[in-house]
Formats: sequence, structure tokens, C-alpha cells
Amino acid sequence: MLSELLQGADTGAVLIIQDSCSYSGQHLLKSFISAALNKEEPVHVLGFDVSEEELKDGLTASTQRLHFHSAYTDPLGWTNRSAFTVHQFCVEELTHLLKQTSHPKPVTLVIDSLSWILRHVSPPAVCKTLQQLKKGGAVRAVIGLLHADMHQRGTVGSVCHLATSVITVAPGTKGDEAVAKITKRSKSGKVTQDEEIFSIKGDFSVTVVSKTSHAGRRQTEPEEQQTDPTANLTFNIRLSDTEREAKEKLALPFVFSKEKKTALLQSGPGSGRILYEPDANDDYDQEDPDDDLDV
Amino acid sequence: MFTELNSILNATPDSITQGEFILVSDRQSDASFLIHHFLSFYLRARCKVCFLGLVQSFSHYSAISQRLGVSLTQAREKGQLIFLEGLKESLSILIPQETTTGSQAMDFLRDPTVGLQRLYEFVRSSVSSDGGGEEGLEEWGPPVLLVDDVSVLLSLGVSAGAALDFSHYCRATVCSQLQGNIVMLVRCHGEEAEDDGSDEGSEWLLKGLTHQCSLTLHVQGLPTGYCRDIHGQVEVCWRRRRGDGQHTQKKLFQYKVHDKGASFFAPGTSSAVL
Repeated sequence: MLSELLQGADTGAVLIIQDSCSYSGQHLLKSFISAALNKEEPVHVLGFDVSEEELKDGLTASTQRLHFHSAYTDPLGWTNRSAFTVHQFCVEELTHLLKQTSHPKPVTLVIDSLSWILRHVSPPAVCKTLQQLKKGGAVRAVIGLLHADMHQRGTVGSVCHLATSVITVAPGTKGDEAVAKITKRSKSGKVTQDEEIFSIKGDFSVTVVSKTSHAGRRQTEPEEQQTDPTANLTFNIRLSDTEREAKEKLALPFVFSKEKKTALLQSGPGSGRILYEPDANDDYDQEDPDDDLDV
Repeated sequence: MFTELNSILNATPDSITQGEFILVSDRQSDASFLIHHFLSFYLRARCKVCFLGLVQSFSHYSAISQRLGVSLTQAREKGQLIFLEGLKESLSILIPQETTTGSQAMDFLRDPTVGLQRLYEFVRSSVSSDGGGEEGLEEWGPPVLLVDDVSVLLSLGVSAGAALDFSHYCRATVCSQLQGNIVMLVRCHGEEAEDDGSDEGSEWLLKGLTHQCSLTLHVQGLPTGYCRDIHGQVEVCWRRRRGDGQHTQKKLFQYKVHDKGASFFAPGTSSAVL
């Protein structure tokens, strides 16, 4: 499903990539940008988290159609040198920004990252802008990066509710692999969920290693050799076949097996018999101290 | 500077990686020994250092750096080190006198809700090289910003969001524009809570700074408790990698702080144990 999303979204799609401190979603975001550029589509990037050089670093696709709106150097207007401030994140300003460069093909807007905007603009306003972008038609698709551990669950939930697809990335078991949990909402209202293990190569192409997490676990098991506890010892605790048979035949002393039970129930010849006649004095009830009163 | 830490981080005073944002953090421990390491390391690498010492006086750092072989007074006189003594400056703001002409860097103490723009402007003027300076000034290397520590700003009333904005601006200026480095210390107390992010405390600030940085050094006590020979563990995590090696790389070391340095070793290989 990850490959389908990379191939291209329908019009009015909002894709959110959720990441956390343990694994950065920045590389996956770059993969989406790279895929869009490879399809010769114009991409506009609102860069808050990273600088232009850092974003373009490693992108092999032609960056001619990549328009970077730098909100990194001065997002709050402190140095009066800003190209784009965080307070300009509204539909009017964005449409104006996008209209400055005209394209024959529909535009993909990439927001890196939404967390920066959510820290300064109230979540309802951000949601409203995203919804208007979704329905508006100024852009074909919006791809946003969200640091899920930086916001309240409610905020994250509200923003992801607007999205048509949500990809949550987490570190995988092996070095350069990561796990992606994908939720996709189609126009008909059907929701599909999937979990894939993927890795990103140097040129930002994504290789999906396996489809589900179960397949992933099965893959790792045969690779882990069962450590043999009898190996590398200075003494020998291995059993030969005869020794193993004798061990299994051995009856353990205090186990109450069937043979012992029958032997006990049937008294053998010459064994004593015990006759018990209950004595009145024997019937002492601990609970009732007056039991022995002759009343 | 600690030679073992240099080999772990693949850095020598002659060849430093530029544009790095190093985040030093601790939880119920004291990671300030790493700040002393980075201070002496970058001074030895002949970088222009701007040090925001918000928690200790200048003489404190000077005494420790003396033991590590670097003279802070000399560096300050030569113009290599610009030291903001937070404690002294804050006195001049809290008890204003007519004769005081301090910088406006600590202005956030007057009104913490204003944010740290003035502090950022102080940093920017310190690290940007003076174009027409006096003759005889030595040429220093790339600028380095050291902050000790960021979490004390939270105790002074500054919001964690403002602290994150400050570190973002510093990163944009020092790391990206001037290709220098930043080292910031964040201190957390208490257990790692699974909070929603609603409580914007030091944990939230740590997460925010972790997203921004390229290298983290997290110092903690040993999970098994107090040990006389091993003072704790350091988890080194490389986050952003250029080119190949997209994945984050983590390494765990144990350390012991000595009088004139600190030694780092792989877990279980302390000299006391082997």
C-alpha cells in the first residue's frame, strides 16, 4: 500500500506522515517528494523544520519543479527577513503563493512540518485551512509531516481525521528498516489498514520489505539460530541414545503412578491390616470447644 | 576535552563536522561534565565560542577548564570566547541601578511571556564575525554556541514553546547560515512520563529539541543503581545523516568522571570489573 501511495494520490488527498523522536519521518517525506518530481509534477514545499539545502540534499530527481518556500530562516518575523511566516498559513496566502508560479499540471503541496505550525496557530485554524485546501482545488494533494509526540492526542487525532491517508512510522527491528502503519480512507468511505516494513535507499526510493508484521516476525525467526546450551562446555552433558532411553524409562521415586496406586490398594500377602474403630474421644472438633460436654 | 569521547564521536580539534546541533540531556543525573568537554574541545579547535552560562558563574567554568588544559580568561581576552554570565546579568535586571549597562540579553526576566528574541539577538551579534574589526584580531574558525542549560529557562517563566523557537532561530543562524555548531544541555527530572504533550515541561522540550538536533547524548544513572566505579551511562544517537546511512545509529557507553577528565567504555568493560 505504501507503493500505491507513493505512485500518486487522487485529487483532494491529504496525506499525513506521523513520526516520533525514535524515528524521523523526514526521509519518507523526501521519498514522496522524489516520487512526485519523478512523475514531473510541480511540488511546493513549505519548509519550517529544515533548510532548503538540507531538503534538497540527496534528491537526485530534477529539482526544477521543486519550489521551496523558506519558513526556516525566519518563521516568526524576528529578523524581518522572512519569505514565509507561520502566521501566513491560511488559504488566501497559500493560494497567492502558489499562483506566483504557474503550472500546467496540478500542484502537490508538502508541509514540513505541521508540528511547527500547530505550535503557533490554533489547531482548529490549521484544520480549517487543511480542509479548505482539500476541497479548494488550488492543490492536488497535500502531504504533511507531523511529530505525533509533540502534541496532545486530541490535536493529532483531529488533524489525522481530515487526512485521506495516515502513515505512522516507527523504527524496525533491523538497522535500516522501519515499520509503517498505514490507514487509507477512500472516497467511498471504506477504510483500509495495513502494516508494512520498508527501507529507504540512498536515492530516496522506498523498498517495501514485507507486507504484514507477522511475515516480518516469521522472517526473523529462522535467522536467529537456536543457541545450543550443550555446546562450548568443558564437560559433556550430551546423551547418547541408550542413555536417553534409560532416562525415559526411569520411574521417579515420589511420583504417584498407577502401579503404586494399585499396589497400595490391594494389600499384599502378609502385610498387616489396620482396623479402626472411632473412639468417642477422637472426635474432637477444633471449632466447637463445647463438643465434649455431656449435655 | 575527553579523548575517548572524541573517538566515539569521530571528532578531533583539527577536523570538526560543521553544522551540527548536539543535544546533551540528562535524567536524574548530571551531564554538565559533557558541557566542559565541548567547551574545551571547541576552544582547542580554534572556533569562536559563544557561551550562555545561565546556571554557574564564569569562575566555575574557568576553574574546571583549567584542569582540562584550557584558559577561559585568556580566550575571553583574545576575543575567542564570548561569555554571557546569566547570574550576574540577571542581578542587574532584578536590581536595576543607574550605572549598569548590561546587554539586553536577559530581558526575558522582566517579562517572560515576551520570549527569547533578545537573547537570540545577543547570540547572533556574538557569533557573526565583525566585518571591520580591529587589526591584529586572530581569525577564528566556525562559530559555536554552547548553552548551559536550556531547562533553567523554564524555571524562570519562559514557555517551552518560546525555548523551542529560540533554539530554532539559533540553529537557522549558527548551523545553517554560518555552518557552525550548537551544543545545548537540557535537564529532565523525574521518570519519562507518557504524557500527552499537554504539560509543556522539560520532557516536552526535550522531545522538541530531539526533533531539531543531529546528535544526542543522553546521560542517565545505571539502571541497576549506584556504583562507585561507574558513574552512569551515556546513550549516543546520531539522527541526521547525509548521503547513505539513513537510519539512526545508537550506541550505549558507560562512563566514569575523573579529576581531569572522563573515561568512556562499552557496558560491562569497566576497569573495575575486568
